[in-house]
Amino acid sequence: MRKFTVNKAPKSSEPSKEQIARQKDFSRLHHQYETLTKRGKKPLYRDPKLWMLLFIIGVVIFLMFHEKS
Amino acid sequence: MFRKKHIENLSESEIIEFAKKRPDYFGVLYDRYFEQIFRFVYKRIGGNEAIAGDLTQQCFIKAMANLTKYEDRGFPFSSWLYRIAQNEVLMFFREQKKHFTITIEERHVISLFEEATDGGTMSLEDQEKLVTFLNEMEQEQLDLIELRFFQGLSFTEIADIYAITEANAKMRIYRILEKLKKKWMTNIKS
Repeated sequence: MRKFTVNKAPKSSEPSKEQIARQKDFSRLHHQYETLTKRGKKPLYRDPKLWMLLFIIGVVIFLMFHEKS
Repeated sequence: MFRKKHIENLSESEIIEFAKKRPDYFGVLYDRYFEQIFRFVYKRIGGNEAIAGDLTQQCFIKAMANLTKYEDRGFPFSSWLYRIAQNEVLMFFREQKKHFTITIEERHVISLFEEATDGGTMSLEDQEKLVTFLNEMEQEQLDLIELRFFQGLSFTEIADIYAITEANAKMRIYRILEKLKKKWMTNIKS
């Protein structure tokens, strides 16, 4: 919540050019955006579907070699 | 480099379409609107550079992440950014456990006093009373007063931020002023 008080000194409420330049940084923004959008992705080794697929491939290969031998 | 220069010459809607496909191109929109959004947030926060910088950055991240959802409905792109910035500022105020004090310039209080009380001289006591009235107002009404009298936005700009017509923005503000006037008159009589 906010509360107002009156500023009686004739101080400018506008930011200076230096302040604007200090805060303007697109590379930082881009980096934050990348972190934000890529955060949700699971690493491959923690993906249960991938594990299941690898397991099935493994079983098929095992059965193939087992039958041959 | 060539691409960036090339894209800067395109129309705003074309740049937005490019930026929807490739986030790197959002930089052109960032360069174009950073200053005005930062100024807006800075004044609303009461001149705190660090907080204004963080909130502006947050506003642009949200704009960048939601750009694919943006639809051109006839309002300028800046009004969409202002709306996000406005929400960021309000969210910031809501998150504050204690009251966040904002200093407003005396000349802004005087211009509001003139509008709300049909002019006349304003004593220091009147000034304090008016500020007390403001602090007691509902947040939504206060937002409109702040945008119009302390930020100095035009009715068109306010209408764009709220996605309403200019006439509607005028009506809302005049109703608030009427309410303020009534309160002021009752206070004087008592």
